[in-house]
Amino acid sequence: MEGINRKTQILNILAKSVRKTVLEAEDGFDGLQEVRLRIGQPLRIVVQGTERELQRNGHSHIVTKEEIRETMDYISRYSPYAYENELRQGFLTIEGGHRVGVAGKVIMEQEKVKNIQYISSVNIRVSHEVIGCADALLPYITKNKQVCHTLIISPPCCGKTTLIRDLVRQISDGSQYVKGCSVGVVDERSELGGCYLGIAQNHLGTRTDILDCCPKADGMIMLIRSMAPQVIAVDEIGTSEDIHAVEYAMQCGCKLIASVHGLDMDEASRKPVLGDLIKRRMFERYVVLGNGEHPGEIRGIYDERGSLLCRG
Amino acid sequence: MQRVIGSILIITATTGAGYMYGVELKAYLEKMLYLRYVISLIKGEMEYSRAPLAEIFQTVGARVREPWAAWLKTTAREMDRREESAFARIWNRCIDRCLKEAGLKSEHSILVKELGTFLGQVDGDTMDHSLQMYLNRMDLEIEKLREGLASKRRIGNCLGVMGGIFLVVVLL
Repeated sequence: MEGINRKTQILNILAKSVRKTVLEAEDGFDGLQEVRLRIGQPLRIVVQGTERELQRNGHSHIVTKEEIRETMDYISRYSPYAYENELRQGFLTIEGGHRVGVAGKVIMEQEKVKNIQYISSVNIRVSHEVIGCADALLPYITKNKQVCHTLIISPPCCGKTTLIRDLVRQISDGSQYVKGCSVGVVDERSELGGCYLGIAQNHLGTRTDILDCCPKADGMIMLIRSMAPQVIAVDEIGTSEDIHAVEYAMQCGCKLIASVHGLDMDEASRKPVLGDLIKRRMFERYVVLGNGEHPGEIRGIYDERGSLLCRG
Repeated sequence: MQRVIGSILIITATTGAGYMYGVELKAYLEKMLYLRYVISLIKGEMEYSRAPLAEIFQTVGARVREPWAAWLKTTAREMDRREESAFARIWNRCIDRCLKEAGLKSEHSILVKELGTFLGQVDGDTMDHSLQMYLNRMDLEIEKLREGLASKRRIGNCLGVMGGIFLVVVLL
């Protein structure tokens, strides 16, 4: 059923001619990861990590300007103005939590990106949740059925967002390691919830409140004041405002789950403001990820003193 | 006696026809005022929620009366089907299909269709501006209708009575 939904969601946003080509080439859609359209270039899809060039009438399907325009009309539901803020960041989220990345001519206003015009490339990334990927981690980041303040340290593309998403789901719903509790998620780039019109398209649990497209620092304070969450989850903290808001949330009685880019504990400790938080032992658990064998591989779990609890 | 009754009936009928002409003119003005209200609701929703057009049409469609409600809801449904490459085509088709019973004059039907040429196709600020300009144009059209209304109604009433009397004189 989910596969059929995914298939409909992806096909619906493609220009009719592209829709036909993709439909002829791809029966399953289960392994479909990406559909890439570039003006004047062959239509390509990525299935289970392998890129394929699609054919139409025995020749490569070359994507036209009209096909990109039609696709963008369908993606934006004929309402590009409604997605201005997302397009400014170079992507938008569609029904089902799928991510559409765009590239083209960038319009600047007062040294900031205002919009993207003349879109020449569209990359549709099919949303894939990995339900249960946090199973092995949960026993280490809970104490007496309560979540510990946890920082996930990971280089890009190592599955930290997927891991946090599954952690949020399990903490919200409850499991043998943790009592189900209300979780507040600040999803600045719509990556955790994959929200479409404010509704999370990914499974984030039954006790989860999500602030979509909201700056992390503001969002955490808003959640504390309005939704009284027991756990707050944020992805990719980076600026000093984010880290000060994390500290504020910790001092408000909320447990915090956050992620940060980094190779290991040492690198995270050297970060300007975050390092200070680590030295003060504000976080109770550190999870270091890598992608040696597969994305989301846990390289190590540490406690507040930096002692290794588990090696992946 | 029969002549008197016949004369009264003729004068009553023509006076009634003249009066009905005036009522229809007034009803048409009210229809245009309601159309302006519907479009101002769309503009308000757009400014406030910045939601996609289909959502706005559904929301506004639930708040207005027929046939405007059916028109907006049908447009939203057609948009969600994503089978037409240009929004203007959906918009025009739905106007032709759903606003027949609204009985808009052809120039006003064209005016409504014009809205589809820019709706949703520009950035938010430009669209707010364009919609305001469009509402100003509608105000002008409504003002034109309103200006002629009183005199047209008076002429309709007079012509009704006078026409009846004339007919009676001719028949007698």
